[in-house]
Amino acid sequence: MRTVSIILFILIGCSPELSGERSVEDDLGRILDVSPTIERIAPLAPSITELVFAAGAGSKVAGVSTVDDFPPSIDSLPKYNLIPMDFEAIVSLDLDLIIASEQVNTLKDADLFASVGLPVFFVVVNDLEDITQSIRNLGELLGTSMIASHRASELEDSLSLLQLRTADIKSKPDVLFLIEHTTLYAFGEGSYIHGMIDLAGGKSLTEDMSLRFPILTDEFVLTSKAEVIVGTFGDGFEISQLLEAHPTWDILPAVESGRVYNLNSDYYLGPGPRLVKGAWVLAEILHPEMMSNP
Amino acid sequence: MNRWTFLLVFIALISVFFSVSLGREVSVTDALQVLWYHASFGLGSPPDPIVDRIVWNLRFPRTLLAFIVGGGLAMIGAAMQTLVRNPLAEPYILGISGGATAGASLFYLGFLPPLFSKALSMPLAAFLGGLCAIIIVYSVAGSRGRISVSRLLLAGVAIASLMGALTSFITLSSPEPDRLRSVLFWLLGSFHLAQWSTLVWPTIAVSIGLVVLMILSRPLDGMLTGDESAHSLGVAVESMKRILIVLASLVTGSIVAASGAIGFVGLIVPHAVRSFTGVTHRKVIPASFIGGAVFMLWADVAARMILPNAQLPVGIVTALCGVPFFLILLHKKQHHFG
Repeated sequence: MRTVSIILFILIGCSPELSGERSVEDDLGRILDVSPTIERIAPLAPSITELVFAAGAGSKVAGVSTVDDFPPSIDSLPKYNLIPMDFEAIVSLDLDLIIASEQVNTLKDADLFASVGLPVFFVVVNDLEDITQSIRNLGELLGTSMIASHRASELEDSLSLLQLRTADIKSKPDVLFLIEHTTLYAFGEGSYIHGMIDLAGGKSLTEDMSLRFPILTDEFVLTSKAEVIVGTFGDGFEISQLLEAHPTWDILPAVESGRVYNLNSDYYLGPGPRLVKGAWVLAEILHPEMMSNP
Repeated sequence: MNRWTFLLVFIALISVFFSVSLGREVSVTDALQVLWYHASFGLGSPPDPIVDRIVWNLRFPRTLLAFIVGGGLAMIGAAMQTLVRNPLAEPYILGISGGATAGASLFYLGFLPPLFSKALSMPLAAFLGGLCAIIIVYSVAGSRGRISVSRLLLAGVAIASLMGALTSFITLSSPEPDRLRSVLFWLLGSFHLAQWSTLVWPTIAVSIGLVVLMILSRPLDGMLTGDESAHSLGVAVESMKRILIVLASLVTGSIVAASGAIGFVGLIVPHAVRSFTGVTHRKVIPASFIGGAVFMLWADVAARMILPNAQLPVGIVTALCGVPFFLILLHKKQHHFG
């Protein structure tokens, strides 16, 4: 048994040094052995692609998922399916590293990639601060820390400016953020969306919901007395569609005052750098007078 | 009205009242005030508009839909079990629900050409999907003017599988992935989209079903004895089979269109009811209707209240609560069928 342990120690414990690999820790606290110069990577979620590009490592992306659509330069890259995961297509890209999102991917996926010698680095984004931190981490991991740090600082400056603008707002309207307008999916406890609404000068009504993505009841919405309803309702949405699906909402303050807004899902549904832009758009919706002043 | 009927109707009324009154946002007295205000055509002080909307426009149509859907599924389940003379039969056995969900998914996830999708609504697409499935099953099962029950069952199960695969394919390769969440919720069965207008088609279909099944209760009793014996008892067996299939398609299609595919109610309620009523359809059909309705009402109350301010698909609750209850019943009671 002792001999086996020693052999295992030699094989596993020493191999990184022998092949020149380095150890890194991902956001889930997993220690990975990765190549010192990572040249080819594959992101496993659209928000991860955006973070990698923001970190200045876009040229290292060897392929993207079929649901990726940003930035436009990814159009010419090879595509792979995420649901169900097309392992063969991803492995055949001859990669050094895969970057996954804790929100989208599972550790089982990572195990499968590990079995063919591909390390998977998990990124966790729970709030706006995590985004700039992730950009910096990815820059360090991928050897583009200068660009990453610069971009992260830009985003932080933008967030600070927004915070300054909305800091003095006394009356924060009650905001209901819906992912859809028929079945009322919303963001629950622990989501980054509440921080965005707060930063934009509003108060999220679903902040304390115990589920990650609760399906709200019409009763809850009616009694919440939402002053503003925002949602990612899709192209061509009109307020009449909301009232058709939920006729009882006609007496909601948000509906009575016409404060129902359709948002661009790209700025809200994936925890990537474009959330910062999303927070600014929200602030302009919630406090148009304040935001129009320079 | 005998003792059992009286008891069932009483339980049904009490259940409707509690389903309308129970909830996190509105008290029982508030609910009573709203119900009285509407029942008396505006007598008394008008209720708070939010409370009024919650009770009268959300909970009441939702309660009635749950009542009709539960009753309809259980009643058709009882008839299907007699049609195929098999205790495993349920309203979805003929592939109707599979076809309906495939139709609704095709429509909702943007697979149909714009010309079709403009002319359709989700309920209509579901109904047409269910109709297509039953037409295929029916044409496979029939030969020389007779319907083979075993072929009907086998074709139904096969078509249900095919439609299930089709639905999975549609949902996985949808051109509108953002809408997937809604479809998944609907596929599991839910009354969350109930409005007064949603009630029209299921009410008409289930009422027709209930009346026809009550009229046919004696021939249905005859069918339990087998095709030959039923024939010798003067039952027009082949016509009965056709009527039951059309009725099942009509009722199930309209139910699935309104509330998605809610499993187990149509299977377990008729069995539970037979333990008390015996096998006579004059008793089994109305008792199944009320039993299914009451069961579904309480399942929906649970679906609304288990999670604070959020809801579960009711199909999950019917399976979670219904199946253990059914297993206990099977274990404890001498089971009657046919």
